[in-house]
Formats: sequence, C-alpha cells, structure tokens
Amino acid sequence: MKILSKDKLESVLDKLSESAEVFVPLSRANSSGFYSWKNRNPEKERLMLDALNVYLSPKNVGFPQNEKMYSIIQSGPNAEIKETFEDSSPRIIFGLRACDARAIRCMDDVFLTRGYEDSFYKARRDNTVLIGNACYEPGPNCFCQGMGVDPVEPEVDIIIRDTGAQGYIWEAKTPKGEELTEGISSLLQEKELKAPELKAFPTQVDYSGVAEKLKGMFEHPIWEGLSSACQNCGICTYVCPSCHCFDIQVKTWGEEGYRFRCWDSCMYTEYTTEAGGGNPRSTTKERFRNRFLHKLEFFTERYGYPLCTGCGRCIVACPTGINIVNIINEVKEASVDV
Amino acid sequence: MSDKCSCEQPLVPTVVEVVDIKDETPDVKSFYCRLSEGGVPFNVAPGQCAMVSYLPVGEGMFSCTWQEEQEYLQFAIKKVGLLTDELHAIEVGQKLGVRGPYGNGFPVEECKGKDMLFIAGGIGLAPLRSFIKYCFKHREDYGKITIVYGSRSYADLCFKEELFNEWPAIKDTQVYVTIDNPEEGWDGHVGFVPAYVEEINPNPQGLIAVTCGPPIMIKFVLQSLEKMGYTDDQVITTLEMRMKCGIGKCGRCNIGSEYICLDGPVFTLAQLKQLPQEW
Ligand code: SF4
Ligand code: SF4
Ligand code: FES
Repeated sequence: MKILSKDKLESVLDKLSESAEVFVPLSRANSSGFYSWKNRNPEKERLMLDALNVYLSPKNVGFPQNEKMYSIIQSGPNAEIKETFEDSSPRIIFGLRACDARAIRCMDDVFLTRGYEDSFYKARRDNTVLIGNACYEPGPNCFCQGMGVDPVEPEVDIIIRDTGAQGYIWEAKTPKGEELTEGISSLLQEKELKAPELKAFPTQVDYSGVAEKLKGMFEHPIWEGLSSACQNCGICTYVCPSCHCFDIQVKTWGEEGYRFRCWDSCMYTEYTTEAGGGNPRSTTKERFRNRFLHKLEFFTERYGYPLCTGCGRCIVACPTGINIVNIINEVKEASVDV
Repeated sequence: MSDKCSCEQPLVPTVVEVVDIKDETPDVKSFYCRLSEGGVPFNVAPGQCAMVSYLPVGEGMFSCTWQEEQEYLQFAIKKVGLLTDELHAIEVGQKLGVRGPYGNGFPVEECKGKDMLFIAGGIGLAPLRSFIKYCFKHREDYGKITIVYGSRSYADLCFKEELFNEWPAIKDTQVYVTIDNPEEGWDGHVGFVPAYVEEINPNPQGLIAVTCGPPIMIKFVLQSLEKMGYTDDQVITTLEMRMKCGIGKCGRCNIGSEYICLDGPVFTLAQLKQLPQEW
C-alpha cells in the first residue's frame, strides 16, 4: 500500500500547490478553518490534520461566502450582461473529515441535480479534488455515524489514514484521486501499515425513523419550547458545512455593476419576506422549525439522506446552547397524538 | 422547445428589450419583452414563470401572463415593492434581464376534454390568463369555460378589454365579474369572489377548477369549492413565495420538501394537502 510518511507531508503539500490551490485545516488567529497552504503564515499558523473539526468547514472552497456572478452595464437601452465569472481554477481540499465530505455530497446533490446544474458551483466542483482524513477517535460533539456517515470512509477522491508516527496510509478511491497520486508518487513509499481501530462515539444519536416521525410533527407543540432560546442569529447556518441557502444581490457604481451571491440564512426574517411585506415564516418558531425540518426531514424526503452530517459545529457555535442532538432525541421521545 | 438554452448558465439572465408597456390598472402594468434582434429568449408554457431583472435593482419571479409565439413575452406586474416600483418607472426601449422558464406550469394536456372553471382575484388573473388564452387558442380541446374574476374596484380589474369584450364573445364561455364594493357607474355584481362562485354554483361534474389570487381569497375559494362538492383532484391553484434562484438551489421557497419555484408553482388541492400548511 502507499504510505505518506509524516516528514514528507509538507513536500507533498508544496508539490500539490504547484498546480492547484491546496486548502488545508490551519489555525488562524484564535480560530481555524480551511485556508491556502501556499499563502499560510508558517510562523503563526499550524497545520491541524490532527484536530477533528476546525471551526470553519471547507464549505467556502466550493461555495464561497461571496461570489461575483456576472458584470453588467446597468442602465437604460444600453443595459447588458458583460461577463460571467465561473471559476474553474484547480483546487484540492486536503484533510477534510467524513462529515465535511458528506456535506459536499449534499451540495453536489443540491447544485448539480434535479433539473439544473449551477454553472458557478459546477466550474469549481469539477476542478476540485478531495483528500479526506479518516477519523478514528470521535470527539465529544461528533455524531456523524448516527447520521449515516462512516467516519473511516469519507466520500472523497483519496483517503489518508493516520497510523501515528509511521505516517498516513494513502488510498486513491477515484480516477481523479489516482491521477493526482501519480503526480506525487515519488514522494510516497510502498509499505504495509495497519489502520487504527475506530473508538466509540461519546455522543450517540439514532436518526432512524426521525424523518418519518417528523412528517407528522409540523404542528407539534414541541417547536415552541425547542426554539424559545433561539436568537435567530444565523450562526448555526454559517458554520454548517451543508447549509446551502444563498441570496443574489447587486452592486453598482456609475454605469457599471455586478451581481453576486452570498450565503443567506433561513434564520433571518428577510429570507422569506415577500415584496408586498407578507412572510410565511414570520416568527422565530417558524424559522427554527423550518431549519431543523429541512435538515432532518425535508432534505431526506428529497434526496434520501439528511442534511445534517453530524459535524457538531452548530452545537459548539450556538450562543444559546441549542443542540441538534437534543432536538433529535426530543423528537424521538415526543408523543405525537396530541 | 426553447431555442436558446438557458440551462447552461441557469442563473445568468438574457437581455431583452421592452417593446411596449400598457397600463392595466392604477398599479398594474403589462410589459412586452423580446430580444433586440426579434423573437423570444425561451418559450414559456401556461403557468410557468420567469425571473425578470431590472439590472441595477434586482430580480423578481413573475408569472408570464402570455407569450405570443416568437413575438414577445408579456408580464403583468403589480407595484408592491422596491423592484416593481422601479419597473413601473421604466420606459419602452429599456433593457431587462430574463431567465427561465421556471416551474411546472398548468396541466394543460390533462385538462383537455374537461369543462374549465377559472377563479381569480386581483393580479391573480395574470397567471390564469396564460391558461385561459391557451384554452381559447385550442378552443375545441376544452369544454365549457367559466371565468369568475373579482377585484377591489372597477379600476382594479386587469385585462378589461378581454374580460368585457373578447372573452364573453367566445363560444361556450361565461365571464362573471365582481367588485368588492358598490360604485357609481357599475351595474355588475358586487361582493367577494368566493361567495360569487357559490352563487354561480357550477356543476363539478367533468370540471376542473383553477384558482389564483390573494392567499386569503384562495383559502376561502378552496373552502367554497369543497362545500360545492369538488374533489381535491379537481382543484388547482398556483402559489407564490419569495424567490431568488428559481431553480431549487437557494432554499427559500420551500413548503415542506417541495420548492415552489421548481416543483410548483402549480399544485392540485390534493397535493397541497400533503404539504405543511405554511402558505
Ligand atoms: S446541522 Fe450542525 S451538526 Fe449538522 S452538519 Fe450542520 S453544523 Fe454540523
Ligand atoms: S446559532 Fe443558535 S441562536 Fe443562533 S440562529 Fe442558530 S439555533 Fe438560533
Ligand atoms: S427560489 Fe431558490 S429554491 Fe426556489
């Protein structure tokens, strides 16, 4: 089998960075996220392959928080669309975990299936290679397994498995992954190593039956209590690797301008406020319910698996302690014939 | 069907020129759009929508009230907010962006051979009009056509020429018009649409009812139809939600697991009853 020894790790990242932008988990200021290896500050920023989930997911790589779509000449009879900005530059996400890889599969299903391919997403996605880091020691807020994600088999092009001091097992899983592997084969070794055993999850979740049960719980009184602490700050949606909602806005100056899209959040009133002022989800409870039903019921009905990957980020980030694991448990316990 | 496939870059509009603007009511205007070189950027089936963008301001989803083949796309737009205020201020010659067509549209094929009952309130006639005109264009394919339409006042009735002159003259067609309150010079019916429908009481046998209007009107019309013995499969409506992408990606227009932009906007009452009551 192919092995990447730890002393070769940086050389591999350098080599890969010659032909693509390589995004790796890095510490940055007091936070962490997926940032360009080439543009890192080696004095201050640390590669965090050993951490489970960094604060910010790699969502930004395939689906930027702000993205210029096309430029315009804005006014009168001369108005026109000038240029569109699909970005097909090559990218590699190195070291993402199975939960974040699943979230990319969610995005792929949203942006690339059901009748329309989003050209902006597609341009980046077609040119992105995923190198996943298998998890063997789940953290306190991890519950991917309960959501149907296999932590040791991330859905990616190449899997790396940390065996400790000996290095990483390197497994190409797709043609894209094999091609990339060929380009760095001189930096890999051939030898046999054994992958570690997966440890038990401190947080146990049983999602089975939840989508089906939620179908009958839209009007259930449970939402009142569950949502009461929510401040509608939207943080949970921003840190979530699979929340894909966006807004389209315009920026203009003089005769020129451009349209861009940016992440939006279902937690905001504006999100569904109609031009005439009406809003089908005008209360916190309605917005909160929609978010969790989208994650746990609606997406599952549409695509066959939930839109929560069990990464645990929203649990850590919510300022008022709202916890999706508790929500799942409460739903399981709720009596439905009220 | 559509000559220029908008599917390659579904979020990027095609620029069209506004070739005519017509006042329908004090706050509704019709905009006729076509490509500068002639023709339409895509074909829109009855009940389908398009994203219309006034480039410096923004985009909004509008039902295409009629497409004259290869000639123009017509949108009847009511002034309700920022974008529509700006649209009402534009002049002929203005360039707009359009992308689409979006949504499922009306089941025009499945309705062939049936009697049709169209029930609309206010600007809600705009989407139904595409179906009504389609029926007239293929008159032999449909049975008796009954149109019940109401607005606040006479001035607020859209498409008056068709309503009072063209449509009633068509074979096997009844047009019933009502306004909310009595007014000088109006000798027609006065009252709300749902009550008027009950009064007219069209026999549900072999009929399909299609309704669109303010949400509150739709709710009452659905109740009335139920009372009159219509089954949930016989009743069709078209919904509205705030939209941004129009293609089931941006997330906001869902009712339950359905996206109104993609899976709708047209639903039978039977389908609506499967969804959470959030519309
Ligand atoms: S909902 Fe929370 S736990 Fe689930 S994927 Fe999103 S951030 Fe992670
Ligand atoms: S992070 Fe917590 S408080 Fe903020 S919107 Fe999400 S659930 Fe509500
Ligand atoms: S408008 Fe974006 S999902 Fe419907």
